[in-house]
Amino acid sequence: MKLTTEIPYWITLAHLPKWGAEKINRLVVKIIHENQLSLETFFNEESIWNKSFELTAADIADLQKAKLELPNNAFLAEDLLAQGFELVSINSPAYSKTLKNNLKLKAPTVLYIKGNKQIMQEESIAIVGSRDADETSLQFTDHIARIASQQYKVVVSGFAKGVDKQALDSALKYKGQSIIVLPQGIMTFGSGIKKYYQQITTGDLLVVSIFHPQATWGAGLAMARNPIIYALASEIYAAQSAESGGTWSGVLDGLKKGRTIFVRQPLPGEKNANALLIEKGATPVNQQGNPVASAQTGDSNAQPVDKTKENLVRITTLLSEQPLTPEQILEKVPLNITKAALAKLLKTLPQIQKITKSKKVHYAISQNTPTLF
Amino acid sequence: MTRQEAEQKLKSIFGFDRFHDTQWAVIEKLQQGKRILLIEKTGFGKSLCYQFPATQLKGLTIVFSPLIALMRDQVQKMQALGIDAGYISSQQPLEENAATILAALDNKLKLLYIHPSRMENVEWLETVRNTNLAIAMVVVDEAHCISTWGHDFIPSYRKIVKLVNLLPANFPVLATTATATPRVEEDIKTQIGRDINAVRGNLLRPNLNLVVIQVQSEEEKLIWLGQNLSKIEGTGIIYTGTRANTEIYAKWLSHIDIPSVFYNAGVDTASKKEIELALMQNTYKCIVSTNALGMGIDKPDIRFVIHTQTPISPIHYYQEIGRAGRDGKPSFIILFYNPNEDQKLPLSFIESARPHPNKYAKVLKVIKAERLGFQDIAKAANIKSSHLKIILADLVKQGIVLEAVDKRSIKYEWKYGAQPLDTKEFEELKNAKLNEFAEMLHYITTPSCRMKFLCDFLGDNLPKDCQICDNCRQRVVSVKITPVWQQKLTAFIENDFPVLEVGNESIKMMNGVAASYYGFSQVGQALHRCKYENGGDFPEWLVKQTLKAFGKYFAAQPFDVVLYVPPTESGDLVKNFAEKIAKALKINILHTLKKNRDTQPQKKFETNWLKTDNLKNVFYVENPQEIAGKCVLLVDDIFDSGATIKEIGKYLASQNVACTVPLVIAKTINADLRKEVIQTSSNNMGVDLQKQVQTPIKSPEDKVLSLLKKWRTEKATELNLPKYMVIHYDTLRTLSEAMPSSILDLLDIKGMGKVLIKKYGQEILEIIRKSKDETNN
Repeated sequence: MKLTTEIPYWITLAHLPKWGAEKINRLVVKIIHENQLSLETFFNEESIWNKSFELTAADIADLQKAKLELPNNAFLAEDLLAQGFELVSINSPAYSKTLKNNLKLKAPTVLYIKGNKQIMQEESIAIVGSRDADETSLQFTDHIARIASQQYKVVVSGFAKGVDKQALDSALKYKGQSIIVLPQGIMTFGSGIKKYYQQITTGDLLVVSIFHPQATWGAGLAMARNPIIYALASEIYAAQSAESGGTWSGVLDGLKKGRTIFVRQPLPGEKNANALLIEKGATPVNQQGNPVASAQTGDSNAQPVDKTKENLVRITTLLSEQPLTPEQILEKVPLNITKAALAKLLKTLPQIQKITKSKKVHYAISQNTPTLF
Repeated sequence: MTRQEAEQKLKSIFGFDRFHDTQWAVIEKLQQGKRILLIEKTGFGKSLCYQFPATQLKGLTIVFSPLIALMRDQVQKMQALGIDAGYISSQQPLEENAATILAALDNKLKLLYIHPSRMENVEWLETVRNTNLAIAMVVVDEAHCISTWGHDFIPSYRKIVKLVNLLPANFPVLATTATATPRVEEDIKTQIGRDINAVRGNLLRPNLNLVVIQVQSEEEKLIWLGQNLSKIEGTGIIYTGTRANTEIYAKWLSHIDIPSVFYNAGVDTASKKEIELALMQNTYKCIVSTNALGMGIDKPDIRFVIHTQTPISPIHYYQEIGRAGRDGKPSFIILFYNPNEDQKLPLSFIESARPHPNKYAKVLKVIKAERLGFQDIAKAANIKSSHLKIILADLVKQGIVLEAVDKRSIKYEWKYGAQPLDTKEFEELKNAKLNEFAEMLHYITTPSCRMKFLCDFLGDNLPKDCQICDNCRQRVVSVKITPVWQQKLTAFIENDFPVLEVGNESIKMMNGVAASYYGFSQVGQALHRCKYENGGDFPEWLVKQTLKAFGKYFAAQPFDVVLYVPPTESGDLVKNFAEKIAKALKINILHTLKKNRDTQPQKKFETNWLKTDNLKNVFYVENPQEIAGKCVLLVDDIFDSGATIKEIGKYLASQNVACTVPLVIAKTINADLRKEVIQTSSNNMGVDLQKQVQTPIKSPEDKVLSLLKKWRTEKATELNLPKYMVIHYDTLRTLSEAMPSSILDLLDIKGMGKVLIKKYGQEILEIIRKSKDETNN
């Protein structure tokens, strides 16, 4: 009950106009982590806002205005819960660890969800691509979704036409699990919930939205949703991208953040920007999803799977959960290499740093920002 | 604000000089953002405790109330005082709701009344979430409806509990009720939580003269009323335990020239309104009703409340008798009790309050497989509406099933990961109800003050006795049966014939008649014996009684032919019976009405929808030319939902009969029965029953259906389309049954998609509205 009473406060805080996730999350860290307060106590004791939280006059004015909306948000929260939606706040154990690790303080303060939230804790891959993808890309998507489902990995997609829809349908077709990241508020997704009722009730589908529950679809929301798709996944596959638009900017953004992104190597004559993305640092994969040696087009012969790449992704995921010694890494990931070779390999990964813990060398994901809980 | 300042404002806005101390204590706490549970008797002035603060607080006060009539009255009173108040209800036109919403959004309203059910919410939830709308306070009227331990739990009230728990701390919440036992009080406090303070007043009603009359039979009750009701000053209410008894008692009283009318949940809305108005205007000596009448009736001078059936708990009783004597003048409260019979109904009610767990499982299976609305679940699980309502309420309460809003209609969803159904609470509730009924029996047998007994039960320990109940005055009231009264009653019983409300001009069917109610005067037992215990043909006395019923209404009506309903499982009983009737009436009988396929016994189906489907297009007549242009007397044994008679009537009309009149042995009364249309059955009441029976009266639904069909035909011609392309017949039928009054209602109708509503919605609503108006006039 205690947690439920906090929901209107989370809604109020999470959608503070013009604050942005990072600023809100910093405040959340201070309230919950540093001061050990509930949001309700924080909102009720305005006197501490300035004293203990060093909030500016403008911030305090924003919070006072937001506080007036609490009764309205109580009504919203009641309806949200009555219709089977849940709010997962960033400090909740149910919140996706992958998402938090990937976005750190920029992670959405709350997730609105419907379905089996345990799916968020599973290993996941994102499949992204154009709304008007060609048949080859759709086949590629189907193939990746099939492999993922066979390996019990969750397929994350954005519920747009083309690749997104294919990824979802294929994952469900192959009896896998899937996450839909909505470009809209979750309460406006009635038709989708109706359509995927079976999959939601069997626990194979989780619907996620980061927006105000009543927000209607908009191009801006669709763009803002893309980084969440990437960040919810441990692996990212792009099936087809134009030289602009959501997939294009999403992949570039992912690369900038140091993510490994597998882009389908285009076949000869294909008119898309996949090759360009590969040039910019994306990892080329063939039609079967296996990494290829070079970015040359036209060679789609099946090659042995590049286990190293896969293993690097696994290492990154493991380290994002906790720092590990080289021995521990080699125990969990069968690389069949020496510790020295491992050290060399890890050096190539930009976000990994060496730390000393209990007098032992550990590898960890670099922490430039305060941890969340 | 000080009390002095507040009372100055009170005088200028409400015209009162001062608050009671309790009222002010409550208002003061609300001003401090506290949560209060106020338990005070009717007439105390509970409403002022929120109406006054509402006028002073910045923003809107939202009042949850379960009674639309009461909301309407309150709003009118507030508006008369110049206070901006409104209410949202699915029963008022869309435009009026929209205007109220706009006024709220413009922050022009101080008070908004709303029913807690989700459907009403769809209308206004958008508004109330709008962050431009300042909400000042939340009020929960009739707060005992929150508690399943209470006497009047309303499932949609659980929404309020959830909402109140989500409201911020230091936000004022007032819950009010007139009746809450200590246990219910604790339950409300636990549910609403957050340090809620309870304020409890005294519940003594010093002007209520409580009497218990022990009898040995139903007939004694009827006779006592006949002998004494006229001696009681003023007008009042008689509560019976069943719908059938409302009719029987009202007819009896009318028969002996005591103006009375029956009221129950089956009476159509327009008639209910007329009866409520008649009650206010003292048109009748008494209204005979089930407990459907009362909540929300604000009449100060009800001089008597009489129960012919023991209520299931003292709290039910206290609430129902509380409607009497609100003006403080002496009023009589009488409870009849027949120790041989009167425990059966309440006990069966308690025992069957919840359907069998198998039915829960059936419903869950259906919902797990598909996301469906109420009607579709009822059909798929073959569970009658009254049971399904209970099952869904329990499943929603336990968080197993969700009520999702889909295009403004409710769809039920299974919640992923839900816990299995917990039936432990059902048992606990049942035991609590049994204990309460035992207390009710103690009330009957107590030798002590009856008012003290009731107040003690409600947690208000009365320091002294009332001095006016039969026990305090040491008076025993009993029934004295005289031969004259016995004769009067016998004459009534032998001449009381229930009307079958099936009149429908479009199928040339007239209202028919039954020899008796199924459960009255041994008729049901006799039928059961013959049908299911190899008791042979229906006995001669039933034939005679049926002929008598026929004679009363149709002696002058010429009939050409007798047909009888072909059997499903009772062999030749109806055939033999019809032959006897035909022979006695000297009407030719035909054995040609047949079924073209086997059907299931109608009683297997729990919903009227499935009953209708079971019989669709099943009847035919061999040599139909024999009946063309003829007046048909259609004979059957039992009339239940009327689906069979109507289906046959429809077929016979297609074969051009001149008229069809149903004649049956017994009419049952149950929850799925068609609405009773007539208000009373006696010529003494100024209503010409003979005329009502003999004139083919269309039921409101049939009338709407035929108008809609006519409209469809015209539309199809106009658009050069086949009729089904305009709108499907099944949809028309659903429309005629549901009688929607707004676009919102239309969205609930299966088959009425957005496109159809956009194209024809307004025209359809107009047809239904006109038809309703005509029916009401």
